[in-house]
Amino acid sequence: MIARITYALRETWASFRRNLTLTAAAVLTSAIALLLVGTTLLIQRAFENLLVQWRGDVEMIVFVRSDASPDQIAFVDSSIRQADTIVDVEKLQYLDKTQTYEEAKRIFIGDPVTLSLLTPENIPSQFKVVPLTEDPALVRSLSEQFRSLPGVEDVALAEDEFQVISTLSQFIRVVTLVMSIVLLIVAVGLIWNTIRTAMFARRREIEVMKLVGATNWFIRIPFMLEGLLQGLLGALAACGGLWVLNSAWTNGVAGFKPGTGISSLIVPSGFLSGVMLSMLILGAIVGAVGSAIAASRFLDV
Amino acid sequence: MIRLENVTKQYGTETVAVRDVSFDVTKGDFVFLVGPSGSGKSTILRLINRQERPERGEVWVAGRNINELADSRVPHLRRTMGNVFQDYKLLLNKTVFENVAFALEVIGKPRHVISRQVPLVLELVGLAGKEDRFPNQLSGGEQQRVSIARAFVNRPLILLADEPTGNLDPATGEGIMALLDEINRTGTTVVMATHDHRVVNAMRRRVIQLDRGVVVRDQERGVYE
Repeated sequence: MIARITYALRETWASFRRNLTLTAAAVLTSAIALLLVGTTLLIQRAFENLLVQWRGDVEMIVFVRSDASPDQIAFVDSSIRQADTIVDVEKLQYLDKTQTYEEAKRIFIGDPVTLSLLTPENIPSQFKVVPLTEDPALVRSLSEQFRSLPGVEDVALAEDEFQVISTLSQFIRVVTLVMSIVLLIVAVGLIWNTIRTAMFARRREIEVMKLVGATNWFIRIPFMLEGLLQGLLGALAACGGLWVLNSAWTNGVAGFKPGTGISSLIVPSGFLSGVMLSMLILGAIVGAVGSAIAASRFLDV
Repeated sequence: MIRLENVTKQYGTETVAVRDVSFDVTKGDFVFLVGPSGSGKSTILRLINRQERPERGEVWVAGRNINELADSRVPHLRRTMGNVFQDYKLLLNKTVFENVAFALEVIGKPRHVISRQVPLVLELVGLAGKEDRFPNQLSGGEQQRVSIARAFVNRPLILLADEPTGNLDPATGEGIMALLDEINRTGTTVVMATHDHRVVNAMRRRVIQLDRGVVVRDQERGVYE
């Protein structure tokens, strides 16, 4: 058993070095494909921070002053509910100060200065309004009414703030997803080709192995390990690249003026490690699939 | 040990390589398959080690019908036989020792078995002292000895040789035949395809003559004609 394992590892390594250029191409392509996958996931997550306020078709947010009395809050609530031809009352949501503070932690993740000025006491509470109508003018005129109610600090409209970004993030998501799928397929193909070439280069050896009674698995495993290694190396490179990208972005964002919204476009480090782990798994799968196809297809040399 | 029953093998629809061939080889026999190029000698060897499967008929090796053998069992069948070729099929990037050791390594033999068996078999084929040479540093006869060592190192029941003297001058060929004879005397069944008149006539062993895929003669202690 030990003899077999050492054999497999030794052959994997030897073959790896023999085909250095092809191997480099395969590794590089998987790295780029996986980097794109990782970047997509990060961008998506970053936009989610930005759009967290506007989840679930919310198009208007009525901010209530932190010092508003319970009577004033009740009055705002009933005023919104009266507009039931325009507002979807079922979906009306009230976030008290604590809940709003939790939400703010995500919005201002890259803007600790602003966040430090906020406390669960001085933060406004908010009503999230989902309109029934498709007509933005109606929503806008309603927002003007609410703005003048006692206790209301401000009314924000999705249209003014993040409509564009939301559409943009959708678009980026689709484009990067398609690109990464295409690149992943290319990576599988390149690994397949590398392994096929490696097997062709060693066809005499494989012929002798078959004649002296080596099992197919014994012949295959070093090649499959080679492909797996290529995928994993690509993933490792991609993880490094993603880490560098993310650090540069996070540092860059920290220099922005607080409160510009851009500052919420960063991700927590826990999420980053999660993405890296899934990239490693994906890389291993890409390598294993590519080499397994090659190894089962081209064994009869 | 080996039995062919009415075996027919064709390539495509036109070319019939072997037609209705039957013969029996008992354990410890030495058999020459003779005939001109294309008469089906190599195909018969390839049927015996199951590189090919016949369209009709049965091939029995060591009491088993090998056409009914599952693909996963074929490696085990092949471990009971050694193969020697006209072109040696040595791995040029490996030394003499490594070439022979390779045959044991890839069937999972532990290192201590390899380091015991390989020197023994190299001694047997007369290559002691040349363990560290590479194939292209050896003469043709020596290369064929390496290939015989590789075929024999696992002590197979059967040795299949396809024109083993085809690339060698007569004197060197004689040496190889002496070696195959010696291996045969250890109880190994030898089946050798050849069109080398001299070696057949010198050995006086069983001769199965083929012509266009058909057995035309099967004679004990025969000559080439």
